[in-house]
Order: sequence, then C-alpha cells, then structure tokens
Amino acid sequence: MVEDKILVWKFNRGSKDALRRIYEKYKDDLLGLAITLLRDRSLAEDVVHDVFVSFAGTAGAFHLSGTLKGYLSTCVANSARDRNRLRSGRDAGSDVAEAAGSNSDGPMERAIGREESGQLNDLLARLPYEQREVIVLHLHHGMRFREIAKALDISINTVQSRYRYGLDKLRSILNSVVTK
Amino acid sequence: MRPKENIEKFVRVRKPHVTTSRQMDKRTLNDSFTAMEQTIRAKSADHKPSTPRIITLSRMMKLTAAAVIIVAISFYIARQGPSEQGRTTKFLEVAESPSEIMTMKSLTIAYRRGGIEGIENQCEKALKILGPQPASISLGDLFNGSNG
Repeated sequence: MVEDKILVWKFNRGSKDALRRIYEKYKDDLLGLAITLLRDRSLAEDVVHDVFVSFAGTAGAFHLSGTLKGYLSTCVANSARDRNRLRSGRDAGSDVAEAAGSNSDGPMERAIGREESGQLNDLLARLPYEQREVIVLHLHHGMRFREIAKALDISINTVQSRYRYGLDKLRSILNSVVTK
Repeated sequence: MRPKENIEKFVRVRKPHVTTSRQMDKRTLNDSFTAMEQTIRAKSADHKPSTPRIITLSRMMKLTAAAVIIVAISFYIARQGPSEQGRTTKFLEVAESPSEIMTMKSLTIAYRRGGIEGIENQCEKALKILGPQPASISLGDLFNGSNG
C-alpha cells in the first residue's frame, strides 16, 4: 500500500521507472481478470494494454483514493464489459484453458494448473457476465462488495444478490457434474 | 449440496495464474511511455507561467520586484539630478559677483527662464552690484574692475 503510494507519487512526477514497476506488479493479475471475464486471451491483452495506456495518460494528475490494484482492476472490469457488449453474440473462449495455464511453472504443474483453472473458467463461463464479474472481483481480486458497487456504479444490494445467485448457480453446476 | 464456504474456496484456489507475453509487455510499455510523455509535454506547455504570473505567485518575487522598482526610480532621479529651475536658482544664489552673473552660462539660463526680460533682469542685477560707473568705461574694464 505504501509502496503503491510512493509509486503513484513518482509516476505523477513523470517517472517511467515507476510506471514500469506498476505494470510489472499488476500485469499478470489484470490479465487473469480480463481472461476470466472475456474468455479470450487476445481480447484480454488488448483490454490490459488500453487500461495501462489510459492510466499513463493521467500522469501528473492521478489521484489514488483506494488501492491501486482495486483501481486498475475496476478499469479492467469496465473495459472488459464494454468489449463484451461489443462482441455480444460471438462465442469466444476456446483458448481460455490454454491462456490461463501459460505460466512459468514446470510442465506437470502447468498441466495441473491449466486443468484446474480451465475447469473453473468453464464453470464460470456458464454464469451470466454480471455474476461472473462480481464473483471474480470479490474472490480473485479481494475487492469488497462496497468497492465493487462503487466501481460498477450499482447498489451494494445488487452486488450481493449477483454474488449469491452466482455462487448458487456454480454450486448446482458442480453438483450436477459430481452426480454424473 | 456444497456449503457456500466450500464454493468460495473452490473458486479462490483456482484463480488462474497467467503471465503476459514479452510482446505484450513491450507493446504496452512503449505505448504507455508515449502516452505519458505526451501528457506531461501538453501539461508543461499549458502551465508555462508568464513573468507577471511568477511575480504575483511568489511572495519573495513580489518583494524583489518592489525593491527593483524602488532602486530603478531612485537611480533615475539621481541621474536626472535637480530640475533646471532648481539648478538656476542655486546658481544665482551662489553667483554673487557681477562677472559670474554675466557669464554665457548664467545668461543662457536666464534666457531660458524669462527670455529677453530674463537677460535684462540679469544685467540690471549685475549693474546694481557694480554701482554707478562712468559712461566711457569699456565692458572689459567694467567687469575686470569688479574682481569677479
């Protein structure tokens, strides 16, 4: 948190090194969020790219009110929602498991990780976008319901109900998978 | 039926671990740096303060500017010296002997002040100091005799 404040302070004074460190610190998390939401790696990369470019454009006037990670996650979620609306009707997601598993672990870990995250992404893909968004922001990115409500410009009750319905649906999907 | 906590844990531990590609890093950072430079350049051009603005913004600059103005005015007055009138008056006060009163410089100043009348007044003042003289005396003898 303090480190982020210092980075933002330097970034506002035009430090390229600070911008690079912010990018290095959050790029993987943000790409993971975008992939989970969009289920398309190339589209997710574009989202993260656009978010960082517009963030860089605020140099000198950027004011951090919450956490930097929360701010960037919100930007990615909002941008991903816009992209999702644009491509509505087009089915994507064939490369989700591959995209999610492309980390720097060994071949075995990579295979397990790919399988597990691919399984989760398949399950999350069955949820409506709004429920998926709330679940991922809360459980993967540690955002509170209040923060999510503010970021998405909806009421906290809506966030909580989307979360609850999403989890119920996930539970029923998992139960049906187990009983098969 | 899985309890809620189990579902949350299930989702949490399966968070996808993704790494960005080098191409993406390069593209994103290059574009971000460009955007950052453009913003900073635009802002510095917009906010380049003018000299009057610098003076009005800084308290120290205000004091310095006031001091410079006072010094400049003092210097100007010192260079100009006292006015022509003041100088003439002072000269006439000092020039007590008739020969001093009748010098070219003194007569020129008298002319500037009062024209021909000024010169006449100056001459009368000199003659008054010299007192009655014979009519045949020359101008050179008149002033030589006054020890001027």
